[in-house]
Amino acid sequence: MAFAMRVKVPPNSANLQEARHRTFDFFRAACRSIPSIMDIYNLYDVVNPSQLRSTIAAEIRKNAHITNPKVIDMLLFKAMEELSNITEHAKQRHHIIGQYVVGNQGLVQDAANKDENVSNFLKNFYKSNYF
Amino acid sequence: MAWALRSAILGHVRVPVKGSNLLTPLWLTHRTTVRSMSSHDDHLEKTQVIDRILDIVKTFPKVDPIFFSVTPEVHFQKDLGLDSLDNVEIIMAIEEEFKLEIPDKEADKIDSCALAIEYVYNHPMAS
Repeated sequence: MAFAMRVKVPPNSANLQEARHRTFDFFRAACRSIPSIMDIYNLYDVVNPSQLRSTIAAEIRKNAHITNPKVIDMLLFKAMEELSNITEHAKQRHHIIGQYVVGNQGLVQDAANKDENVSNFLKNFYKSNYF
Repeated sequence: MAWALRSAILGHVRVPVKGSNLLTPLWLTHRTTVRSMSSHDDHLEKTQVIDRILDIVKTFPKVDPIFFSVTPEVHFQKDLGLDSLDNVEIIMAIEEEFKLEIPDKEADKIDSCALAIEYVYNHPMAS
């Protein structure tokens, strides 16, 4: 309760243009904290900064189809929270590697990106010989 | 006494006159291009800047280097078919490569390779 009063939420964006601007600002802030993140979690042998940048861009692009500025603000709030958690070392190395490095085919099955045209049989077929 | 000796010796010693130094004016000699006391002399060459920026664009995962020849005049969104988010990503990659910090207003205007090269070349802190 006390913590909720401490968090300052910026006022909502007036239109889509301002929300878009805030998204780019967040993306720049995230990219500028990448060297510090790689230092904290010792990711030098695992990934290089351009891959992390691409991952962040992909996460942003997953929600690129949204047009309501309030929803975008909410998503940016959650993104800022996630970024703060990562930079203040509230997470651990395996979280970062699992969520942002290994990628979606490795561990996490994306519910949003289900391609309805491709059948389950074909997906398994493309993945390996034995299923 | 010593002065007389000195003038006598100087009268006999022949110092060859380098005529070429006198003929070319001072501002054309090599001394103007090497400023040994200057701390501002390590600007990047334009060719270096162009090469590094082209490398960044070519190794961008969404750009196909084989299919399209990435020239120094290429436009990120029109020619390479990139997104505005990709635009910002390329600018961040340039920031990291040249150890710069580009303010938002300038970053919004950088839309193509030519503008990026010009901005980096004119930036005093680029390295």
